[in-house]
Amino acid sequence: MQAERIDCDVVMRQLWDYLDGELTATRMAAIAAHLKVCDRCLPQYNFERSFLDLLTRLRKPGPAPEGLRLRIMTALVNAGLRPVA
Amino acid sequence: MVNAPVTAAEHAHFRAEALPWLDEIARYAMWLTGNAADADDLTQETFLRAFRGWRTFRAGESCRPWLVTICRNIFLRHRRREQRVVTVEDPELEALAAASLHRSAREQGAQDLFTMVDFGDAVAEALRELPEAFREALVLVDIQDLSYADAAAALDIPLGTLRSRLFRARRQLQEDLMAFAKDAGYSVTASVPGERKGGTRAG
Repeated sequence: MQAERIDCDVVMRQLWDYLDGELTATRMAAIAAHLKVCDRCLPQYNFERSFLDLLTRLRKPGPAPEGLRLRIMTALVNAGLRPVA
Repeated sequence: MVNAPVTAAEHAHFRAEALPWLDEIARYAMWLTGNAADADDLTQETFLRAFRGWRTFRAGESCRPWLVTICRNIFLRHRRREQRVVTVEDPELEALAAASLHRSAREQGAQDLFTMVDFGDAVAEALRELPEAFREALVLVDIQDLSYADAAAALDIPLGTLRSRLFRARRQLQEDLMAFAKDAGYSVTASVPGERKGGTRAG
């Protein structure tokens, strides 16, 4: 099935939604197809993409400190959470 | 109403559904409070309240936004502040405003700013300076990686409002970072096809 054709105004209005993966599959495909051929929208996409990549560096995956985990589990058990048998 | 005893199954359900989010809630608490001691206290209180209110949690739904909501509500209550109503534009108008900002960046030769400049701690600092309503939306979606729907549920706001605040937060953060780069003396040569791009510190 051919992707729907959309214009630059639609792409600009929905670019954040597209970058966040929040559109329907059909619309995601349509915007992706548009970006491949549009030298007006692609620089905008690259600009926003690089900005969001900058923000993802603020994510700090990894476990909470062991001391905090133990503290919370102790508090929960004291509140009545049954220990694992 | 007599409270029925909590069943072993409910305890097991709490362990299986809520506790896996401990690390993430601890990180979110850190974003809310800005310091480790308060974040630890907030995290503990979040899970205690979640445990005590476990029967109000609807099985089958995602526990993550529920815990985020509890955490946020405790934080707001401790701060004894009413949430201010923030007026924002329509989300799609905000998206168009972002396009205008990009055009401005290109005119200044700064279209590669976010890949070429070492912002260091400036990003986190600028994020903390955002108005709270905008910062909350951005932290949940861009840092905590929640979907729009989950972030809106956690903040108890309509989806359209979440999108508006998020897009506005992103645009303001971009403006702040562009100003930071300019104040720090960074200049970016205009990008022309065939020419070498360069990011340099002026002066």
